[in-house]
Amino acid sequence: MSVPTLSRWTLWRVFGRSLFIQAGFNTESLQTLGLLYALEPALKELYPSPADEQAALRRHLTTFNTHPYVSAAIVGGILFHEQRLARGEETEEKVARFKTALMGPLAALGDGFFWLSLRPAVGALAAALVPLISAWAVLVYLVLYNVVHFTARRRLFTLGLRYGDGLVQRLEATLVKNVGERLRALAAACAGGLGASMALSFGLQQRDLAGLELTLGCATAGALAAFLAERRVSPYIMLYAIAAAALLAGMLSH
Amino acid sequence: MVVWWHALLTALWGGLMALERRAFLQAMVSRPLVAGAGTGFLLDDVVTGLYVGVVFELLHLGGVSLGGSHAHHETLPAVAAAAMASAMGHASGSEGTPAMWSLSILLFAPSGWVGRRLELRLDLRAAKYVGRARDATNVQEFRRAARQNLRAMWPQFVFYGVLSGFACVLGYALAPLEREIPLGVLRGLAWAYPAMSVVAAAIAVQGSRARGRSLIAGISALVVSVVAFVVWYRSAS
Repeated sequence: MSVPTLSRWTLWRVFGRSLFIQAGFNTESLQTLGLLYALEPALKELYPSPADEQAALRRHLTTFNTHPYVSAAIVGGILFHEQRLARGEETEEKVARFKTALMGPLAALGDGFFWLSLRPAVGALAAALVPLISAWAVLVYLVLYNVVHFTARRRLFTLGLRYGDGLVQRLEATLVKNVGERLRALAAACAGGLGASMALSFGLQQRDLAGLELTLGCATAGALAAFLAERRVSPYIMLYAIAAAALLAGMLSH
Repeated sequence: MVVWWHALLTALWGGLMALERRAFLQAMVSRPLVAGAGTGFLLDDVVTGLYVGVVFELLHLGGVSLGGSHAHHETLPAVAAAAMASAMGHASGSEGTPAMWSLSILLFAPSGWVGRRLELRLDLRAAKYVGRARDATNVQEFRRAARQNLRAMWPQFVFYGVLSGFACVLGYALAPLEREIPLGVLRGLAWAYPAMSVVAAAIAVQGSRARGRSLIAGISALVVSVVAFVVWYRSAS
């Protein structure tokens, strides 16, 4: 295994710039501009000759797209390969192959864990905490999510930088099985609990018959919406329909 | 009267949130719950921002952009509705009420779709920066080539910022009209808030994509109901 030759400062710069990976997202080349922006300080250091730096930048002007967090692993891996390439230990094709082979599978991994599991779970948990701890729920949201998010980004970058293609095996070893399903179940439980809490808290505050009507109405609406949501009825239709029903009930109530 | 620095603050915040949502960091500061509460904080009404944000958080919990696709924009409606409700409350000399929350949510919920269309347009527009990066690389201006990435952020900041600022101004403009609304309609709007929250929670359950989600959510709702009822009964007696 080769020892990275890039300076620590450059590595920090590349990592910092990788946080902008989607800034120039576009329909033609997706995250290519972001990748170019992240790699530029490292390529400048690795290739003192302008012609070599030009060739290196051109290598990375091809279409690139992956999950923004796991892109840290690919950026790290590209640096691993570029360093070897700069020392003449491997060919240009190897860098391109590494990038194209990993961006799809890593995107699926990132989407499945971060977008489809962690974010709904932490979002629903924080939302469920709003009636209990008010604005502190926002802090809970940011801390819980970002402890995982930034740890993962830093770790993925280091794995890519140290192991190159070997990062896949390392990644498999660190993955916790079934965690995604548990997080999704947590999201469902929190959303269900919050729905009940909202229906009860606003109704019980009134301490009269209208309050009871409101609670029962909300509970019925929730059950009906859960049924309709499973049948892919538009959320907007449900939202406006329940608002219209509540408006009517409010106008007719004495 | 419109407090213009509120509109300016909202515009800056809305623009920044749009960038955080996709262009930079993605640390969930732009999620509806956080961005809504932040808007409320800037306009001196955290509670309004928080409760408007909760509805949009639940509504968009399952929304996800996969590959190059776009989900409905969750940040724009949250910031805009929170700004409008807070501004209405401010103009009425109090904090936002559930009726104001409902009105703002109903008015700005479709802006999620508008935000998505705008994002698609801006992505198409950003394609020109790829050509510029290629040109700069060809003439060995590497720094300029890399910087093209950042140029695409400006239009996002400006467009989403203007829309958010507009929502704040609209809140001030509609505040006098809100006082003319009949009591029955106001009551209905106030009732619409918990009703919409419950519906958004049901949509969030489906958006969680968990196996057995209906059962899990049902049990959770039952447990919360029993606990809440016991607490309420004890405090009432």
